[in-house]
Amino acid sequence: MNDDAGNPFAELLEEYVAECAPLAEAVGDTLVTLERRWEEGDPADQLFGTLKGSLHTLKGNSAMMGLTAIQALAHCMEDVCAFLGERPDLRPSASGLLLRGAGVLVEMVGRAARGPLSADRSEAFISEAREFIQTESVGAEVSAPYPERRRFERRTGSEVGELGADGVVSTIRVDARRLDGLLETFGETMIAGLGLREAVRDLAVHHRGAGFTDLEHALTSLEKTLKRLEGALMATRLVSIATVFGRFNLLVREVANAHEKRVRLVTSGGETQLDKTVIDRLGEPLVHLVTNAVIHGLESPEDRERAGKPAEATVTLSATQRSDRVILTVTDDGRGLDPERILHKARQLGAVAADATPSREEVFAMAFLPGLSTTERVSALAGRGVGLDVVANSIRTLGGSIEVASEPGKGTKFTMSLPLTLAVLRSLLVAVDGERYAVPLGDVAESLRVTNEAIHEVDGHGMMFWRGQVIPVSDAAEVLGGRAARSSRTYCVVVRSGAKRRGMLVDGLLGHQDVVVKALDPSLGRPPTISGATILGDGRIACILDTARFAELRTTEAATPSLS
Amino acid sequence: MSAKPVFLVVDDSRLHHQMYMLVFAKGALAGSTLLHAKNGREGYALFTTHPEIEMVFLDLNMPEMNGLEFLERRRSENLHPHIPVVLVTTEDSAEDEARGRAAGAWEYLRKPFTPAQLTELVERARARSVRT
Repeated sequence: MNDDAGNPFAELLEEYVAECAPLAEAVGDTLVTLERRWEEGDPADQLFGTLKGSLHTLKGNSAMMGLTAIQALAHCMEDVCAFLGERPDLRPSASGLLLRGAGVLVEMVGRAARGPLSADRSEAFISEAREFIQTESVGAEVSAPYPERRRFERRTGSEVGELGADGVVSTIRVDARRLDGLLETFGETMIAGLGLREAVRDLAVHHRGAGFTDLEHALTSLEKTLKRLEGALMATRLVSIATVFGRFNLLVREVANAHEKRVRLVTSGGETQLDKTVIDRLGEPLVHLVTNAVIHGLESPEDRERAGKPAEATVTLSATQRSDRVILTVTDDGRGLDPERILHKARQLGAVAADATPSREEVFAMAFLPGLSTTERVSALAGRGVGLDVVANSIRTLGGSIEVASEPGKGTKFTMSLPLTLAVLRSLLVAVDGERYAVPLGDVAESLRVTNEAIHEVDGHGMMFWRGQVIPVSDAAEVLGGRAARSSRTYCVVVRSGAKRRGMLVDGLLGHQDVVVKALDPSLGRPPTISGATILGDGRIACILDTARFAELRTTEAATPSLS
Repeated sequence: MSAKPVFLVVDDSRLHHQMYMLVFAKGALAGSTLLHAKNGREGYALFTTHPEIEMVFLDLNMPEMNGLEFLERRRSENLHPHIPVVLVTTEDSAEDEARGRAAGAWEYLRKPFTPAQLTELVERARARSVRT
């Protein structure tokens, strides 16, 4: 047997993790399903076969890599399965044991590429499993049920690898940092392209003629190629969200058990793809939302039955792509948010005036205020008193937005909208007092010409009628630059964030443009309504509007007064 | 040997394909051509169309068509009986090995195997074909 250091295939460790981590997660997922089916009295033999197949592959792969602790763990889980093959009656009582093993397996496989593994947890599991088999074997009439002779089984449901249709391996592994570098360079190229376009536009004032037309054609073709390059580059960075969803089955089960809830996790849209950077930073906020849903959102099985609901609660994680955004939802069928309680706390925090009567939608939006949703009880398992404000912040730094809808007694649904990519932003460029700003195009509901008369002042805040509703309006200079508002602006850009709409008064609309997003140096200090900056074609810098923060600005004070 | 030697690897694990690539890229076997298939069905299709294959490394447990089914079909069709097929598996019972050999496997290779074991198998098969 090979030892860890001298393994001839050591250079394939990352490949091992790439292949085996999803397989280990699949073991966990399959077990969660099996546990349910076994409890219902269904032996689920085919699925059980899939489980054994995955364990077998994990064992073989780990052995090849010299990862003997993981090999032993997978082998032991196979032994438990073999034992359960002979004793279907014991399956329901053994699922917890196997799930603990799956948890250790996921963890160890995930850590395999990061240095030597400690075998403490796997060995603890192995002795627990041996004890189980020994105890249960005593008195059983089956003479020698263990180990079961392993059969050559036709396996189903284990799909590994992305071998091309011709059977030839057609993927290569690339260091993610190289992809980041490529993207950075592409950004510079795009900025240079924009500069070229600007220069050509200036020249056009004085020059006309065949040579100039050629220049314009060449530039147009360059721009088209850049567009295609952008698409191709983005495609190399896409990762399916199943890699994030994969870990939730075990998590939900663990949290549910610790809090005596019965929960079924349903996921959909796992094949939806997102930029790797977004995926990497999405796990944590999702874990918060799902853990919160199980611990605080769901009632105990008894309470649920009393309320006429199925004892087993459902938490759903879903992803779908809608044009250049991905919509993620976390839904539970629990008790729902209590608007009274949120409003009460918001008043205590001074976030809402004592006499204001915000709509239910607005009250739910307050759940994301700092300090509001942090639960008094810090759960041992969740291990955090993290509030929804932290979740909302993580989503916003990804250029996304989050909103919540809830119905008391029926459940709660968090909806997040995230950009497919973080690098390039389709924007509407606007002019304000000679400065230029970029507004994310996806968040623009409408841009329209306005007159002074269209803006009404109510309690010192601008309001206007828009598509049959009253929406708050702010002057761009005041919001973005901290300068005094001007009384006359020509255009209003109506920005949306979730259900909220807010108008921003500007001097001019300069057109649509793809801008390359640059992070702002935090030490510079910036108004909260700015999310980043970009370099325009002429080399000048334009700040990018943080639409979610803009839309939420002074919401509580500006809440829907009626116009007289 | 005049042309580049060709080997067929039939395995549902990408990792294993890369392991074979490592072995066949270095040392005595450097310069070989590897054909890759991710299950028995694809493997059998390649096996049918490539009589120049020198040796097949066939995983036992695979979806679509497993190693034993591959061997059984090959025997019933008497397809390229001269090509040695090595059955690769994590199983370690003598009974399983006997079943593999009975189905027509030339050799039986247990995981974990080392590059040296692969090279040794290839050399042994070459020595055999020179003698006959």
